[in-house]
Amino acid sequence: MAKNLDDELLVGQFSRGDETAFDRIVEGYSADIAVLANRLLGWPGEVEDIVQEVLLAAFLGLKKFRCECSLKSWLFTITINKCRSYRYKQMLYLRFFSRAAVRASVLPAHDEGKAQMDDETFHKVRLAVQALPLKYREPVVLRYLQELSTDEIARILGISKNALQVRLSRARERLRQDLAELIG
Amino acid sequence: MTEDKIKNLIQKADRTAGGPVPISANLAAAVRRRANRRNIANLVVRVAAAAVVLFALGLWNYTAKKTRDQQKLVALEIQIKQLQIQTDATLNFIREVLDEERRQRRLNELQTQLASYSDPLEEIQKQVDKTAFILVYQANRMYRELDQKDSAIQAYNRVIELFPQSRWAEEARQTLSEIKNNQHNNSKGDLI
Repeated sequence: MAKNLDDELLVGQFSRGDETAFDRIVEGYSADIAVLANRLLGWPGEVEDIVQEVLLAAFLGLKKFRCECSLKSWLFTITINKCRSYRYKQMLYLRFFSRAAVRASVLPAHDEGKAQMDDETFHKVRLAVQALPLKYREPVVLRYLQELSTDEIARILGISKNALQVRLSRARERLRQDLAELIG
Repeated sequence: MTEDKIKNLIQKADRTAGGPVPISANLAAAVRRRANRRNIANLVVRVAAAAVVLFALGLWNYTAKKTRDQQKLVALEIQIKQLQIQTDATLNFIREVLDEERRQRRLNELQTQLASYSDPLEEIQKQVDKTAFILVYQANRMYRELDQKDSAIQAYNRVIELFPQSRWAEEARQTLSEIKNNQHNNSKGDLI
């Protein structure tokens, strides 16, 4: 509740033209946005462009924000949408210029290099999460990595709680199949 | 139980993957710059779109005006041609009416003239008589005053030929016989 009050205060200050309010928002949420984007995009590491896109959208739309949900949820919703757009554009770009590159895009170069150093097990887990369809990957990331409540996830993804449960269940089933040797 | 295992695996995998690359400190300023650039770009796009729309409207208006002018010109040309045809027809009609009036006037004059004559045949006879008299008069002058005997004989003969029943033909015959007698007498005198 206190967080929501802070959000309202920040949005109110921003609406009145106080630019330091936006600085505080960036300071407070940019790390969370970066972490979420990094997870949603498959741990590429370099996510500053996406974070900038998210904050730019927030900057342009902040005056319209009505504080019906927390600022963090709102920013996460933007992040998810930007990540979807980013992946879609990347997929189109790669599909257009090189079919071979599409295969490479499944695992970014950052991960390939790191995979040798990483534990083989966790590398497989990350691959399995990345291989999930978008509608399953997003709930998994938000639930198990961001550790958000089901209410918040449902609000962010714009789906009902039942639908979220179904997606999570199916995602787990897929992961169980893909990681059967690890889970046992 | 399985859910917990999956959760643990994913969380450990996330931790081993490492976090995102640290973001630059002046992120807010960078975002503001991008927002400003985007606002300017939007403004430019709107101004350009407005300019294009205005240009298109101007062009359309100009073309439409030109087309309207051309249509007016064509309509005027058609009207002028129609007026010319009407004028020609009217002139022809007026000409015909005038001709008709002229013919009618001439007919009236002739009828008036004819009406002024008491008896047309008598008038013709008078004119014939008058012409015969003139011919005989001229022949007499040629014979008696100008001493042109041959021309006078020809003139008398023409009167006899043209107006054989008139009294002037009779006079021409008498004069011709007189001339012949004179010629005969003169030839006898020459012989004696």
